[in-house]
Parts: sequence; C-alpha cells; structure tokens
Amino acid sequence: MSQSTVRDDPGDQAGNRRPWLAAAEQSGSTASGLDWLRERRTAALARADRLGLPDQSHEEWRYTSLAPFTRRWLEHLAGVRLPAAPELVPPALAGVFSVDIVDGMLCAPLLATPPGLTIQSLQTLGPEWRTQVEALLGSTVSARDDSASDSLVDLNTALLNDLILVTTEPGASVAMPIHIRLQATAASALCQTRLLVDLAAGSRLTLSLVCTGTAGVLVNAVAQIRLGRDSELNLVRVQALPDDGMLTESTSIEVNDAATVTVTSVDLGAQLSRQSLTVRLAGTGASANLNGLFLADGHRHIDNRTTLQHEAPSTISREFFRGIAADHGHGVFSGKIIVQPGAAGSNAALTNRNLLLTTTAEIDTKPELEIYVDDVRCSHGATTGQLDANALFYLQSRGLDLSAARQVLTAAFLRDSLTSIALPELRERLEALLESRLQAQTGAAS
Amino acid sequence: MAVSGLRVEVGGKEILTGLDLVVRPGEVHAIMGPNGSGKSTLAHVLSGRDGYVVTGGSVSYQCRDLLAMAPEERARAGLFLGFQYPVEIPGVSNVYLLRSALNARRAARGVSEIDAAGFLRLVKAKARLMQMDESFLQRGVNEGFSGGEKKRNEIFQMAVLEPVLAILDETDSGLDIDALKVVANGVNSLRDPARAFVLVTHYQRLLDYIRPDFVHVLAGGRIIRTGDHTLALELEADGYEQILAAASS
Ligand SMILES: Nc1ncnc2c1ncn2[C@@H]1O[C@H](COP(=O)(O)OP(=O)(O)OP(=O)(O)O)[C@@H](O)[C@H]1O
Ligand SMILES: [Mg+2]
Repeated sequence: MSQSTVRDDPGDQAGNRRPWLAAAEQSGSTASGLDWLRERRTAALARADRLGLPDQSHEEWRYTSLAPFTRRWLEHLAGVRLPAAPELVPPALAGVFSVDIVDGMLCAPLLATPPGLTIQSLQTLGPEWRTQVEALLGSTVSARDDSASDSLVDLNTALLNDLILVTTEPGASVAMPIHIRLQATAASALCQTRLLVDLAAGSRLTLSLVCTGTAGVLVNAVAQIRLGRDSELNLVRVQALPDDGMLTESTSIEVNDAATVTVTSVDLGAQLSRQSLTVRLAGTGASANLNGLFLADGHRHIDNRTTLQHEAPSTISREFFRGIAADHGHGVFSGKIIVQPGAAGSNAALTNRNLLLTTTAEIDTKPELEIYVDDVRCSHGATTGQLDANALFYLQSRGLDLSAARQVLTAAFLRDSLTSIALPELRERLEALLESRLQAQTGAAS
Repeated sequence: MAVSGLRVEVGGKEILTGLDLVVRPGEVHAIMGPNGSGKSTLAHVLSGRDGYVVTGGSVSYQCRDLLAMAPEERARAGLFLGFQYPVEIPGVSNVYLLRSALNARRAARGVSEIDAAGFLRLVKAKARLMQMDESFLQRGVNEGFSGGEKKRNEIFQMAVLEPVLAILDETDSGLDIDALKVVANGVNSLRDPARAFVLVTHYQRLLDYIRPDFVHVLAGGRIIRTGDHTLALELEADGYEQILAAASS
C-alpha cells in the first residue's frame, strides 16, 4: 500500500478540528431561498459534527485518506488559495442542452428547456415542488454498509448554496441530451454541488455530468436520482478536475419497476477523488448497467466504490469497471453486489479489470458478493495485470513497433468502457483525450 | 534465409541444438517432427519473440543478421509468422490491425499510407479468397473465433500482408477438410518465385494440396533428415521411429 495508514488528524496542524463549523459560519447566511430547509440543514450539520469525516479506520475508507482534503479545506477557510492555473474548460457540445453550474449554483435562468423536462434551482423553485425535493433530499445516499460516508452527504446538505432539480414528465421521451457542466472555482472553500433527478414513469432521458474546476479546488458532490416505473436514464459522469483538485462524491440511484439505468463513470483528473455510487434496484424487473473507467496516472489517487443493491425480484445488474494506473498513481476499486431477501430471480454480474502500466503504480481491488436469497445468479471477478505479452508480440509480429502495440492494446482496453455513452461527441472527445494521455504513458514506457 | 548451427535455450534448457536450414525464394519447405521437438521454438526465434536465448549459430535473411532485428523490423522486412495458437485481442478489430500493419510496412519502405478505398478493396478481395464472411473484418482480432476460424484468419492476414517469407506453424491443425482446402488454396494463390514458405505440420494431408519442394524432419532440436515430398508419405506410413533410430545410429 502506497498510502500511509497512520491516522493523521488534520485538525492538529490547523488548530481547528472542525472545519465545517467555520464553513457554516462563512457560508450559511449567503444562500437565499433556503429558509424552508433550515431545520434539515441544522440537523445535518449537527450529525456531521458528531460523526466527523470518514477516516481510514472505516473499512470502506481503508485505502483513502481524506487528511489532505481536510487540510486544504482549512487552508481555504483561512484564506489561502493556490495561484490561478489554467482551467480545464468543460467541453461545449453540439446538439445538447447545456446547463452551467458554477460552485453548485445555477449560473443563469434556463430558457426554453426541451419539452417534457424541467430544470430548476432553489431560486426558481416554487413551493409546490417542496415535497418532492424533501423526499429526494431525504433519500438514502450511502450504501447500507458505508454509513461513515453519511457525513459527506450531511455536510453537503448543511453547507449547500443551491440545488438543482431535474424532472421529467410522465411518458416524456426527452430527445436532446442534457449536458450539465459542474465547474468548481477557488471562490468557494469547498464547493458543494447537489443534484436531484426525478424521472417520472415511462420517461426517457440522457444526462451527462462533467465536473471540472480551477487549480486546487475542493468539491463535495451529492446526487440523488430516482427512476420511476418503466423509465430509462442514460447517465454519464465525468470527473475531469485539475491535477491538484480533490473530490468526494456520493451518488444514489433508485430504480423502480421495470426501469433501466445505464451509467458510464469516467475519472481522468484530480489529485484525490473518491466516488461512492449506490444503485438500488428497488422495483421488480429493474435493471442497471454500469461501466466505469479510471485513469490514475501521475500522482493521482482515485477511489471508486460501487454498490449494487438488489432489493426486488427479477432485478438485473451488469457492471464492468476498468482501471488503469501508471506513474505513481493509485487506483482503488471496491464493487459490492448485495442481493437482499426479497430479490429472488435476480441476476448480477460484476467484472473488474485493471491495467498497471508501470511497476510504481498500484491498484487495490475488492469485489464482494453478499447474497441473502437462493434463487439468484451472480458472478464476479477481478484481475489486475500488465498488458498481455502474447498480444503485444502478436502485434509486433505483424509490424507494429512496441510502443504502437502498447498504445493499441491500452486504447482497446479503455474504448470498451465508453461505448455506453449516449453522447457520441462526448464519447469521441473522451476517447481522444484518454488516448493522448496514454500515448504519453506508453511512449515513455517503451 | 540461411539458418546455420542455431542453438537456442528456453528456460535454461537447450531446445534447438545446432539447426541448419536454407530457404530460397520461391521454395516451399515442410518441417515435420515429434511433439516437443522444437518446431514452434524455431518459428518463434525466427520471428523474434523474447524468452529465447540464442547460444550459438546465426540466421541471415536478405543479407541481414535476422537475430539482431526487432520483431516488427522482421515483419516489415517481409517475414510473417502464422501462429500455432493465434492470440485473441478484444477491442482491436481485424481491419484496424491490418491497416496498421500494412502502413507500418509501407512507412518502413518510405511509401505513403494506403488510401481507405484501396485498402477496403484489398481486404475484401482477400476475405473472398479465404471464403471469410466480411463480418469477420470488423470483429476483434480472433475474438471468439473458433479454432478453425483463427487459423483461417492467420492465412487471411498473410494474404493481405503478402510476405516474402511465411512461416506457418501448424496452420492445418484443427481445420475441417473444406477449410484445409481453402487455406491451401490461400497459400497456393500466393506462391510466387519471389516468395517462400515454411510449413510446420504434422499431417501429410496438407502437403497433398501444397506440394513442398523439401520435407525436413526436426527431432531433438536439429534437422535430422531432408527429402522431397515423398518423405512425408514415408513418415505418414512409418512414423518417426525408424528415422530417429537411423539418425542416432
Ligand atoms: N518457456 C519454456 N520453458 C521451458 N521449456 C519450454 C518453454 N517453452 C517451450 N519449452 C519446451 O521446448 C520444447 C519444444 O517446444 P516447441 O513448442 O518448440 O515444440 P513443437 O515441436 O512445436 O511441438 P508441437 O508439435 O507439440 O507443437 C518442449 O519440450 C517444450 O516443453
Ligand atoms: Mg508447436
């Protein structure tokens, strides 16, 4: 393990053990339209204060220390900011409906959203929406066994300045993909983004979330997504923070009767990134397809934790997660499948493949099965290795030089993860970006 | 190509023990021999796979020291290995591999990249020759191919790349009778005064379709006997025992 397991308490260095209290003081008064949420926010802050941030003594956080995260947060609160560096500008795509969210806030009122869809922020949210928002806000985010992460969700609730609600109308097939660009700037000490998505019965939506930021940003993102009966969501989530950015992200997706969610998750930036994604197959016949890819090159630490919870009969999950680590990168993948007693006739498959491009890189992986019912089909497996020497030689024997052969194999490895992205232009850009990053790798290694 | 006194160790064990073989343009050589005698080892060493330690002898190819060349240089100089066990490469399509391979060769000769239309015509024509469905072109290299389809795909690649010297390691193993004819036809269609073949095989049947100029028996890491195509018939009838006994006496 390349990470220190010693618990270092960031509070000691900064002389403040609870940065959230200072943060609450600084930000609490600035947000408007939040009065009706005050009680919930106060309770959340109290809970977070009691729990503290998760640390490595929690099994679910074994490989990832938030100490650098907390330290930077305290520095930001004290007014220390990193010098401005070139921003990673989120891609502008053609043929999509773009929504810009800067530091968790909707920038400008949205005009002419596609038919069948509403996108609202706290500023525009009428009182008639409050019940729905409260229900989503209150829905469980952390996986059953990861309550240590609850404090991240509570902190988000307590400190958010805005929230974004995306809803569809029953039966609406929203043809145009919604492209949400989440940008974090140095203006906030810790940027809290909160996204609520509610798909009505029988509706269809393609949604991409691309997270970028300026130098040194900290982001704590929470998303709560609900799919009504028979609905379909194609969700793409891309983490492209700058090399020194840090992110904690908690996402839950509740999939009801016969609904289908397809998720593509890509991590290609940040110094420290921890994503926890929980999919609850809550209705009969619900299904989930999850494709993940991370690139832990440079000094990146990228931790992905996914939980697929089968709660209802005849639910189906397919998960394929790929990781690539190079240089001094450290990747972590924990994938859990839980089949609960009510989930007879379910079918789950989880595959994790990891590629180590250098001997200094590291990937820790842990696929887990928890099954509480007999009548299910589950499979899971994980492998970590280098590029296949036989395949490399095969390509060389056809005339490709070693670095080209390495490139072809790594590109093939990652391309499969991106095929589920329903926005062709975004997929092509990601392919090109990842391939050029890997070109630097494979060129250097040969 | 001239192989002389080639000695090769694998994992500390001497597998080739002083092998001599001369292949001239236009010739077809068959190499037969018992399991484990070193036939694939020879094919691999000639194509530059690592893990093999050459402890003696030399190989010259087109007046160059073949053993000093990287695998891809050998390929670009016209050497082709048909694998006994072709590798599956998911995510890399057959056409992608072939275009990269062709262009790597062309670049080595200082020729510009092949144009898309010309390339497509070429691969489609060769696929027809090999009686391969065009859907195989877009599939991952050997991905999910049956044993016979993999072998056919090796010959298809050879047909597209048009090598100067092709070493085919047991390309006939695992082929049904019709496929064997297709593969033999693929090889025969490429026969040319400037092109040579080395066929490693266990079965006389392939040689019914591709008449070799020479048949060699490789045993104990050396060529212990060389003859014309009738030697294969003799082996088919009598096995290796007599020849092995004669060689050791
Ligand atoms: N990596 C290795 N380590 C040790 N021994 C090896 C290794 N690779 C090959 N050998 C041995 O070298 C010998 C020759 O193997 P080779 O594959 O060349 O035989 P072959 O003549 O092609 O046999 P077959 O007809 O079965 O294909 C065998 O005894 C084999 O076990
Ligand atoms: Mg062999």
